[in-house]
Amino acid sequence: MIGLAALDDTRASTPLGRASALVKLAVAVVWLLGIVVAPDPRASLTLALIALVAARWLGAVPLSDLVRGLAPLVVAAGGIAAFTAVFAAANADPEAVPLLTLGPIVVSVAGAQAALLVGARLLAIGAISIAFATTTSPTALVDALVQQAHVPDRFAYGALAAYGALPRLSADLRSLREARQLRGLRADLHPRLLVALLVLAVRHAERLGVAMDARGFGRGPRSHFRPLTWGPLDLLVALGGLAILAAILWLAFVAA
Amino acid sequence: MLGPSGSGKSTLALGLAGLLGRDVPGTVTGTMEIGSGDRGLVFQDADRQVVMERVEDDVAFGLESRAWPLQAMRTRVPEALADVGLADRPRAVAATLSGGQRQRLALAGALAPDPALLVLDEPTANLDPDARTAFLERLAALKARGSTTMVIVEHRVDDVWPLADRLLALGRDGRPLAEGPPATVAERDGARMIEEGIWLPRWLEPPLPAAAAGRAGREVPAAPLVDVHDLGYAYPGGPPVLRDLELAVGTGERVAIVGANGSGKSTLARLLVGLVRPDRGQVNVAGQAPYGRPPAERASLAGLVFQDPELGFLAPTVDDDVRLGLPQGPATAARVSELMEALRLPLSSYGRRSPYRLSGGEQRRLSLAPALLREPDLLVLDEPTFAQDRHGVVTLLGLLGAPANEHMAMVVVSHDERFVAAFATRVMELRDGRLHDRAP
Repeated sequence: MIGLAALDDTRASTPLGRASALVKLAVAVVWLLGIVVAPDPRASLTLALIALVAARWLGAVPLSDLVRGLAPLVVAAGGIAAFTAVFAAANADPEAVPLLTLGPIVVSVAGAQAALLVGARLLAIGAISIAFATTTSPTALVDALVQQAHVPDRFAYGALAAYGALPRLSADLRSLREARQLRGLRADLHPRLLVALLVLAVRHAERLGVAMDARGFGRGPRSHFRPLTWGPLDLLVALGGLAILAAILWLAFVAA
Repeated sequence: MLGPSGSGKSTLALGLAGLLGRDVPGTVTGTMEIGSGDRGLVFQDADRQVVMERVEDDVAFGLESRAWPLQAMRTRVPEALADVGLADRPRAVAATLSGGQRQRLALAGALAPDPALLVLDEPTANLDPDARTAFLERLAALKARGSTTMVIVEHRVDDVWPLADRLLALGRDGRPLAEGPPATVAERDGARMIEEGIWLPRWLEPPLPAAAAGRAGREVPAAPLVDVHDLGYAYPGGPPVLRDLELAVGTGERVAIVGANGSGKSTLARLLVGLVRPDRGQVNVAGQAPYGRPPAERASLAGLVFQDPELGFLAPTVDDDVRLGLPQGPATAARVSELMEALRLPLSSYGRRSPYRLSGGEQRRLSLAPALLREPDLLVLDEPTFAQDRHGVVTLLGLLGAPANEHMAMVVVSHDERFVAAFATRVMELRDGRLHDRAP
């Protein structure tokens, strides 16, 4: 599962923990674009590896967290790659060079290459997202959005509150499924149940909104308890991220 | 401030906090003058008022909203946390705190801007007795300091009664019913307040009318309808919540289970009705294990009524909601309409209404319908008197004690001592994962 969570103090004090969430987000987005344009699976896999190594060594993320986040993605990427290999359009080309023939199934070299590229890209997208999520707390992201990107308070804190309400929403969903079972019905995701969940979510959001208003939210300009300023670390992370991407793209396009 | 369900206590609380007509839409008539100074509001539900993930960040949230300078915030946040007994947990993740600690965190957040007026809307309703005492001790300390005016809205007033200098009771129509020093009001208007459905402190009001006598007796029945043996349960990756738990309940018996928050009462309720699979041991109802049985069969063995009725509503109208999952036909229609009459929710006037728009008492009664219609052998109720006024609880006692329910075994999980005394034939306490006998 990829999800933001509060970081412990050790992790928050690492270089990646201290760097602005906006810089990390920008580097992640640029890397994702790089993955999409690079025609070589090796470029994607290298970026994935660097992202994970950075999270581990510059973000002090425990290896077990990275593995747990990555495991479902490895399965998904593998599955999609296999599907692509078998059903690639290139396989139907009579001139295609067959790599593997299993009865009626023919996997061409071009098909295998396409599969490898898709799998590597998916893995890299996952790895980069995990590296961002495991080194960024929701609070840090909201602070950066409000103070450095000047996103409106209502939007940023509203998103934070909605994110914080997710566990509550999943508890509500569990109750509603139990309520269906108690009426002798299956606990599946019936549309009725989703409507009821939506009603509960809207009511919860209304209440939370009133509670935030009761604490003076939205009455005027806010001050900041966790002031953020741009620092040399942010520049270093930004430049480092761009340099790594440039080097990898250079290798993929020019050197190859 | 006291009043029955729907008397407008919470609305007045919002008004006093300065939110009506501004952040909460509506039309306000008349005038309300409140002296200068800030105001704070604490709600009942800790989940809805903790905004930030860490304790100190959440306390600072209200200060940031008021644009306090950083240095002042850094001084004030630890003070506010010390005032509520959380000085040692500034960096804790709020979601990992207990319910009582989270509610005190909400108090710290409201207190941080040093409000001249602090409004508390049923602040202890979700807390168990220990957490409630801890919370009220903080209010008593605040009162002793004398710098903050407090308005506390409560249904259950035993604990806050000694704190109050003055009392305002609202009637069901939203008009003031009585006002003055608590002792005077109780003596002068007590009878009228009880009639209106308002709870007075235990020592000032008659006990609740006992539910019609169930099969009494503290000895364990010889051939129990509900037989729980050697039951053990732990959440995945967690320590055991229940262990070696034994329980036998006979037909017509009404057992109350009390215990602190987090002692596993709600988990036990779910195990009894077969929503959750026991890790160890057996739960048998009428000789069968409810867990894993086909849904319809399971539902006719054991029913559960949730603490929060809204979490059990599954359809946009009362009529659709009660019929959901029942076979169609004239027999069902007749039973539904008969039961809804008995619940004082006749389909002719309630059928087309939204369950979410009913009053608290109406929602409570409606939440009984799905269980009662399936005539289960075992009926389990989780905190059924939560947020109910006196009328609501008296009505509930009458409905559950009805002769038609004599064939059921009932188990109630409850903090509510007065309800337990009127309802239960046997009281047990859940402690350290096991049930212990307790004098009723």
